[in-house]
Amino acid sequence: MKNQIFTVVLALLIISCNAKIKDAETQVLVEEGTEVLESGAMTEIQNVSNDIEVEVSSTFVDSTVLGFWVGYFQEDFIGNYSNKTLYVDEAYQWNRDNKINISIDKVSDNFVFGHSVVAGNKRPFSGKVQDGIFQVKEPGDDQYDGEFKFEILDNKLVGKWTAFKNIDIKNRKYSLEKRIFIYDPDIQLEKSKKYINWYDNLNGDEAEIENENVAEIEDENDEIGEWFRSEYASATTLIYTLNASNTLLKKEDVENLKKGDITIIRNTIYARHGYSFKYRPLRVFFDAQSWYIPVHTDIKSEFTEIEKANIKLLLRYEKNAVAYYDYFGRG
Amino acid sequence: MKQIINPFLFGKAILYGLLLYFIYLLLLITLQYIPINYEVAFLNLKQEEIKLTHYKWAFFGHVFSSIFIITFGLSQFSKTIRNRFAFVHKWSGRIYVLLILCIGSPTGLIMAYHANGGLIAQISFSMLSILWFVFTLKAYVSIRKRNYKQHKNFMIRSYALTLSAVSLRLFKYGIVSIFELPPMDTYKIVSVLGWVINLGIAEIIIRTAHQNPSSISES
Repeated sequence: MKNQIFTVVLALLIISCNAKIKDAETQVLVEEGTEVLESGAMTEIQNVSNDIEVEVSSTFVDSTVLGFWVGYFQEDFIGNYSNKTLYVDEAYQWNRDNKINISIDKVSDNFVFGHSVVAGNKRPFSGKVQDGIFQVKEPGDDQYDGEFKFEILDNKLVGKWTAFKNIDIKNRKYSLEKRIFIYDPDIQLEKSKKYINWYDNLNGDEAEIENENVAEIEDENDEIGEWFRSEYASATTLIYTLNASNTLLKKEDVENLKKGDITIIRNTIYARHGYSFKYRPLRVFFDAQSWYIPVHTDIKSEFTEIEKANIKLLLRYEKNAVAYYDYFGRG
Repeated sequence: MKQIINPFLFGKAILYGLLLYFIYLLLLITLQYIPINYEVAFLNLKQEEIKLTHYKWAFFGHVFSSIFIITFGLSQFSKTIRNRFAFVHKWSGRIYVLLILCIGSPTGLIMAYHANGGLIAQISFSMLSILWFVFTLKAYVSIRKRNYKQHKNFMIRSYALTLSAVSLRLFKYGIVSIFELPPMDTYKIVSVLGWVINLGIAEIIIRTAHQNPSSISES
């Protein structure tokens, strides 16, 4: 009898083992603009990546206008556009607002030149300024191009944006603050209230879920929710203390990290360089950091030697965690 | 005496089925390193060590001998094979002993010195390979002296340690699934539990067999 119980238990264990020794399919996401280049390829890229440079113009009356204006690019509800708030989880919700950086690069006479960086997209714009009202247009060859109309009020850049094409969110509004971007390797991740609220609610009373409100659930919902559940929730407090930009990490520093830790620590390197994330969950995560400014869509040539070595090390352990962590094996 | 299925026979079949299944998984793990690949599985975490020539030899020697050791050991506890096909028992036993004493255990000791997980894992894996060597040697010496009982007992201990290849990975899977511990904490725990529990079970089997001589021949 004992023998039988024993065998049944073991049999169950085996079935749950899923007959697998590794996950060969899941890939670790490395966005194109963040790939670490071999030193030989560096020079070539540098010429290409400096496509848009900030030019300081002395001809303009008020030079304080020039520079980065940063804040949330929010949906502007006009007419029939319904509220598409996404209920990512019981408590966490994402309003499909991304952090935008509107950079005014040059103003001469009445002409304005600049670019915007949002959601992994860097687009130039140009137009005119008249009576303090800026009206600028993006080229129009991208699906998400549109027209900005803004003014500077109380040290804030306030305005609206309308897409040329009939896209999902056609109208946006924004109130942006003037920010200066300086790469600082010592910046640490902050404990954002947004994450903590989300996490507490996840672990808290599940009866509080108001299902009536959860009317609209889309794929985006799953993507962000899934990320917070699997990556953020599994991460430890080391994401707030381990800095992969100013410290050369050793094997001992990373070998006990969980997958979520490694992903966040690695991507924090990119965030310090002002990388604008294409992958939505990471964008939501880093947009919530007060210091974070989306500046670049390509930071290949920006990494320091410390960072290059750390990214390589972290990626090795991250890939290993994905492939082997919860499988039958040692890794 | 009207049993249609002998429960012992049934249990035995399942036990062997399980072992075969896990040996198959070990084979899959081993095959990842063919053709010789330094960028896969366990070696991903041993990038510094794999540059060392002696580690390279130890690692591949260990991996490729282990799969044969565990397979050749599998049939040794069958009474049928022992009695009817004595030469099979003898020859696979010789290969089993030779592979452990000459390759499996010494390479295990070299790897133990470089083990992930710090001092705990290093000591634990070192003890594992030393005990593995000692038990296997004792089992061999006792059969040369025709001491069958001692031979059997030490072979049970030896194979219990051989099976740590399976149990270590199984415990790791269990700990990770249930407690979601960080990888290296998990590794330290299983580096000890992976073989200590096996050896405990082996002692229980030996002791119960001592009290009830018929039961050991069943398993």
